[in-house]
Amino acid sequence: MRILVIEDDLTTQQFLQRALTEQGYQVDVASDGQDGLFLALEHNYQLLVLDRMLPKLDGLTVLSTLRNANKTLPVLILSALDSVDERVKGLREGGDDYLVKPFALAELLVRIEILLQRQRGQAEPQSNKLQVADLSMDLLARQVWRGQQEIVLQPKEFKLLRYLMEHAGQVVTRTLLFEAVWDYDFDPQTNVIDVHVARLRKKVELDGHNPLLETVRGVGYRMVAK
Amino acid sequence: MAITHYLKPYVAWVTGWWRNNHQASSVWRLTRLYTGLLMLVVGILLWVLYQLSVGQLGRSQTLQLNQLQQQQQVLAEELSQADFIRQFEQQAEQSRQFIMAYSDNHTTYGRLATIPKRVTACPQIARFPVYNYNEIRLFSGCVQSLNNGRLLVATDDEALFDLREQFIQASVAALALALALGLITGWFFSAQVLRRVNSINEIALKVEAGELSARVPLSKRNDEFDHMATHINKMLLQVEHSFDAITGVTDAIAHDLRTPLGRLRLRLEQAQLDAKKQHVTSEQLSSMLAELDGILATFTAMLELTRLEQQQQKANFKQLDLANIAEDAIELIQPLAQQRNQVLNVEIKQACKLLGDATLLFRAIYNLLENASKYAGEQSQIKLTVNATGFSLSDNGPGIPESETDKVFQRLYRLESSRNSPGYGLGLPLVRAIIRLHEGEVKLQSNQPGLTVLVNFGE
Repeated sequence: MRILVIEDDLTTQQFLQRALTEQGYQVDVASDGQDGLFLALEHNYQLLVLDRMLPKLDGLTVLSTLRNANKTLPVLILSALDSVDERVKGLREGGDDYLVKPFALAELLVRIEILLQRQRGQAEPQSNKLQVADLSMDLLARQVWRGQQEIVLQPKEFKLLRYLMEHAGQVVTRTLLFEAVWDYDFDPQTNVIDVHVARLRKKVELDGHNPLLETVRGVGYRMVAK
Repeated sequence: MAITHYLKPYVAWVTGWWRNNHQASSVWRLTRLYTGLLMLVVGILLWVLYQLSVGQLGRSQTLQLNQLQQQQQVLAEELSQADFIRQFEQQAEQSRQFIMAYSDNHTTYGRLATIPKRVTACPQIARFPVYNYNEIRLFSGCVQSLNNGRLLVATDDEALFDLREQFIQASVAALALALALGLITGWFFSAQVLRRVNSINEIALKVEAGELSARVPLSKRNDEFDHMATHINKMLLQVEHSFDAITGVTDAIAHDLRTPLGRLRLRLEQAQLDAKKQHVTSEQLSSMLAELDGILATFTAMLELTRLEQQQQKANFKQLDLANIAEDAIELIQPLAQQRNQVLNVEIKQACKLLGDATLLFRAIYNLLENASKYAGEQSQIKLTVNATGFSLSDNGPGIPESETDKVFQRLYRLESSRNSPGYGLGLPLVRAIIRLHEGEVKLQSNQPGLTVLVNFGE
C-alpha cells in the first residue's frame, strides 16, 4: 500500500510519515505542490494525503491537475481552513475527504483506512443484505435480525447500524458516524454520539449472543469483522 | 539700499506670520474672503450711487453748457453784432448757474474780466482756474470761436467739487465701516462655525490619544454640525464597544484558557514524575489529550465565530425548511434528554422556508437544545415550536436572570451558576452569529419559570 503525503510543515510531515509507516503503509513525502504533483503523476499511489496550502503549487491546483490526468486515487485533504465553503471547494475539486487541522491522528488513520477500503470495495457487487455474525440487515425491507429475533430500530438507529456494519472490522470515529447518519458536517464535540451508540447497543446486543460492537478508547467504535 | 536691508527681517517676519496664519486657521481665511466680498459689494453700490448722483449732475451740466453755447451760436448768426452783444450781456447778467463771457478783439463782455487762454474747445468740457477778485475759483467749461471772438460758457465747479469730495469722504467712511464690520462679523461667524469643527478636532485628538470615551458635545440647534457630531459619537460608541469586546475577549481567553492549560500542565508534570518511576498509563495520556482537544475546540469555535460575524459564509445558502432541520436536531438530542428524564416536545406549526446553510442552522438549533437540556435540569420539560418565521424553544428550568440575558451572548461569558460545568461560553455567541448571518434575531425571555429562546427570521 503506497501513500503519498504532500505537506509543507516538516513536523507534521515527519509525524505523518512515521505514523503511517508504523501502520504498515509505504509512505513517500513531498514538501511542496510541484514535487508532490510530480511524484503523484509518476507513481501509482493508492492514496494521497494533500495539504490545502502548499508552496509553489496550491493543494487544490494539484488536485484538479491530478483529476484532469485521470488519476482516480482517493485524496484526503488536510487544511487549516475550516469553513463549509472551503470544504465544499475541496470536495468539488475531486477530494474524497476533508480533515481540518489540528486533527487527531486516530481520526486520520480511520479515514485513510475507510478511503482505502472504499477503493477496494468499489469492485465488489453491492448487496441488499448486510451480515455480521448472527446480525443481519435487509436494506430493502429495512429489517434487522439478530439470529431469529427481529430488532425494531428508529430510522437514525438503522442508519447508524448500517454504517457500522458496512465498516465491520474497521474502527469508525464519532465524527464519521455523525456525518454518515446526520449528514451535517461538523463535530458536535460532545458525547451525544456515544449516547446514541449506547442506545443502539442496548437494542442490538442481546443476552446469550456474543457482543458485536466494541468501544475503541479515545477513537470510536468497531463492529467485529464479518 | 540700506533701508531695504534694514527692513528685510521685518518683512520676512510679516510675510511668515501671514503665511502661517493663512495656513493655520481657516477662520482667518474665511474672514478675509467674507470681508473682501462685503467690500466688493459696498464698492459696487457706491460706484452706482456715484454715477447716479455726482456723475449725473456733471453730465447734465456738460449737456446744458453745450446747449447754451449752441444757443449763443445761433443768436450770433441771426442778430447783428451790437444786438448780440446786448442780449449776451443781459443773459450773462441774469444767469446764476452759468458763467458766460464773450470777447471780441477789444473787449470782454460778461462776468469775467478776461477769457483764460488755455481752455478746451467745445464740446469738450474741462476744468480751469479763474482769478476773480483775489480768489482762485475752479470752473468747468469750454470755449467756442464766434464772430471773430471767443465765447466761453462755464459753470462754477465748486459746488459739484464739494459734493464729490463729500461723496468720496462718505464712501471711504462707508468702506472703512464695511471693512471693520466685515472683519468683525466674519471673524465672529467663522469662529462660531469653526469652534464646532475644532471641538470635533479636539475630541478626535483625545480619541487618538486613547481616550475612547470622549464624545463630541451637542448643541440644541440640531443643525448639520449636530448631525455630524451625532454620527461621530455613534461611531465612537461602536468603536468603544468593539474595543471593549476585544479587550474583554482577550482577557477572557487569557483567563479561561489558562485554567485548562494549567490543568494540562499539572497532568504533564505528574506524567513526567511517573515516567521516572514506572510507565505512564494510557489513561493519563487520554485525559491530557481530552484536555487539549477542549482547548483546540475553543480556538476553532472562536475562529469560526469571527468568520461568521464577518459574514463570509453566504455562498452555500440554499432554499431549505427549518422544520426538517429542527426535527434532525431533536433526533440527535433525544437520547440525551431521555437520560436526564426530560420531556422533549416538538410542535411544527408551519413550514419555515428560508435561504440558508443547513449545517449552520442545525448547529444553532442543536446548540440551543443542548443548552436547554444541560441547564434545565432533570425531569424538566423542553418545547421546540417552529412557525413560519422562525422558532422558539422554552424550558421550565431555572432560567437566566433578566440582567444577564444580554451578557450570555458575549464571547466566553459564563453565568456564575454554570462556571463548573464543561463549556467555554461560545455556544450562544455562535448561535447568535449564525442567526444573524441568516438575517434573523435571537431574544431571550423569561418563561416563568425557565427560559424561552425566540428566534425570528423576520421578513
